[in-house]
Amino acid sequence: MIIVARAILLSTAFALLPVTATAADVAAGQAKAKEVCQACHGLDGNSATPDYPKIGGQHPDYLAKALRDYKSGARKNPIMAGFAAALQPKDIENVAAYYGSQPPVLAPKF
Amino acid sequence: MIRICALASILLLTTPAIAQQAPGGGPPAGGPAAAPAPAPTPTIPAAGDPVKGREKTQLCEGCHGIVGWRTAYPEVYHVPKIGGQHEAYLISALKQYRSGDRSHPSMRAIAGSLTDEDMANLAAYYSRAHVQVSRK
Repeated sequence: MIIVARAILLSTAFALLPVTATAADVAAGQAKAKEVCQACHGLDGNSATPDYPKIGGQHPDYLAKALRDYKSGARKNPIMAGFAAALQPKDIENVAAYYGSQPPVLAPKF
Repeated sequence: MIRICALASILLLTTPAIAQQAPGGGPPAGGPAAAPAPAPTPTIPAAGDPVKGREKTQLCEGCHGIVGWRTAYPEVYHVPKIGGQHEAYLISALKQYRSGDRSHPSMRAIAGSLTDEDMANLAAYYSRAHVQVSRK
């Protein structure tokens, strides 16, 4: 019984591990955003150019998926393909967390 | 010599101003503002009708209108927020789904059912949606 309990505890601990291991670094994301993203999307994500989407306050997991798709080529955009190619998976998580943490310029519901 | 140079430079500097005023000779009150404005309106690319767009939002609200909603397929992530997004970007996103350049199955099906006019109307509505929220 104790062994079973220990096994459950252990498996729970392992199940939680990836969540903490992939915690994004918002400060590192901001640094990367200044290098790579700011020129078009703005540092707060509120891009002034109509063709470039506003990303401030957007869901971080959606932003990360978009970047992964640009990097893999699943989503085709010649401009973003170049920038996403320069980002490592960790950079993608960090940048997505940073822009997601900015004051929302997008409304989820209306 | 220095004086001559100084005089010449003053003349050079002031001559254009004199020349500008001379031909018109009209009232200086209007000044440069009297010139026709260049009308820079690149932020409104299409003549979408937000009211007609709103009538079509039943296609969108099921996912984009629910706070915290996530896509179930093909990956689990939050459906993007689109209220207040740039109109031009929304139109290009819908067209990319329709052409297959973007691959989300539900969005491809929905965008495939929309005409260019529908897309322009929806984009007009959603790009202004955040304004309506803040007024409430």
